[in-house]
Amino acid sequence: MTVSDTNGDQQILRYRTRQRVVHAVMASSFLILLVTGLALVWGPLAFLAAGGWSRYLHRIAAVAFMSVPFLYLILDRAGAKEVLVDSFKYDRDDVAWFRHMYRYVLGRTAEMPPQGRLNAGQKLHHSAVIVFSAVIVVTGLILWWLKSGLTPTQLAWTAMIHDLSMVALTLLLVGHVFFTYVYTAWSSMATGYVSKDDMEMEHSKWVEELEHDGAEGSSS
Amino acid sequence: MASAFLLDMTRCIGCEACVLACKAGNQLPVDTQYIELIEHTSGTFPDLTGGFQNHRCYHCADATCVAVCPTGALFKEDGLTRLDRDACSGCGYCVQSCPYEVPVMSDGRSSKCDGCAANVGAGGSPWCVTTCPAKALEFGVRDAILAKAKERVAAIKDRYPKAQIYGETQAGGLGLILVLPDDPETLDIPADPPDAPAVVDLWKHVVQPVSMGATVLAAAGAGVLGIIARRNHMAELREVEETEKAGVSSGDPDTEDV
Repeated sequence: MTVSDTNGDQQILRYRTRQRVVHAVMASSFLILLVTGLALVWGPLAFLAAGGWSRYLHRIAAVAFMSVPFLYLILDRAGAKEVLVDSFKYDRDDVAWFRHMYRYVLGRTAEMPPQGRLNAGQKLHHSAVIVFSAVIVVTGLILWWLKSGLTPTQLAWTAMIHDLSMVALTLLLVGHVFFTYVYTAWSSMATGYVSKDDMEMEHSKWVEELEHDGAEGSSS
Repeated sequence: MASAFLLDMTRCIGCEACVLACKAGNQLPVDTQYIELIEHTSGTFPDLTGGFQNHRCYHCADATCVAVCPTGALFKEDGLTRLDRDACSGCGYCVQSCPYEVPVMSDGRSSKCDGCAANVGAGGSPWCVTTCPAKALEFGVRDAILAKAKERVAAIKDRYPKAQIYGETQAGGLGLILVLPDDPETLDIPADPPDAPAVVDLWKHVVQPVSMGATVLAAAGAGVLGIIARRNHMAELREVEETEKAGVSSGDPDTEDV
């Protein structure tokens, strides 16, 4: 779906409302988990954990975080499936994209290979988020429900792996925010619309696909 | 200067006065106590031997509970292991990791002897020491306590050939020096308690600072790089717009000069 904004620039719908809701649940629960988790391991924030209330908030946010894949399936089954399948499918352009990734990091798209709805970096980002989220959920559930059955060494390892997964996810978040800022993509999760100019530079194959589908849709 | 308790198990009569004085003095909740008398019986009838363990915090110098405590609620001071319950998050890692199984959860937070920090700070003695009718408990400078313990062991060797000191070296040296009539295992006390898991050291002193540093560096780097990269991207966008405009005004949609 394409609309024009007040400046006459064309805008494309990239994320439906339900997808944005899923994103909001994941983002807010993640940030709560980050702060309440950090309070447990980082001295300067430890005062937040005092009294233990942050541990309850951590569990509430954990339930919300774990519900994300199910929420996505319930709210937008097709969208969830599409993102999942797309995230693990790489083509030659994706491989070429990784070779020229430094340009993309520097904000230059001119000579980047054409990309589909997800660029190769986003695909890798999604896979990493899935893997580290799985690890953090499993270790988190162990720390929540099976802690009393662990030896001190097992407990320390579980907590350390849990922490390290969060470090990885936080670094991924830094990258996520970085690209959102560089490619002026805040609107994608606020309104769902992104500039067509941007998409033609960054996801030209997707724009073609949309126009092709649109043309097919209107001709049939 | 490091302080320590002396607990002479050849003098302790198991009267539990220390348990009560501790509970009352520290105003502990009904279901909580810092000291517990645990009876042990071994052998088969009629050759039974019995004894009891005056179970309480051993105030390890290399305290596993302090090593694993994420908030710093457990900390070392004057050779003793203190607990600031206000800073406790109730994670229970100390309960899980203590080689002597001392800390317990009470009202959602860790609970254990803190060496009567308030009393001692005000110039007094710990409640258990003040109250002990058998003079099995003393409190003072660790070196003096250790010397006294050695004297006591020497004095009772005839009666208890296996008499020994416990706590001089265990866990880096305990803040609770025990005079035992027999091997510690007879009272279910580990002869050599395990150290804090090595991975805790790795976790707290390598993984955590490195992770924190890496995250801060990444965020700072992304901030600086982000400003540069965004400028580049905006320039590209302007070029595209100008090309589009030029294309429109010249009437030639194929114009491409980028």
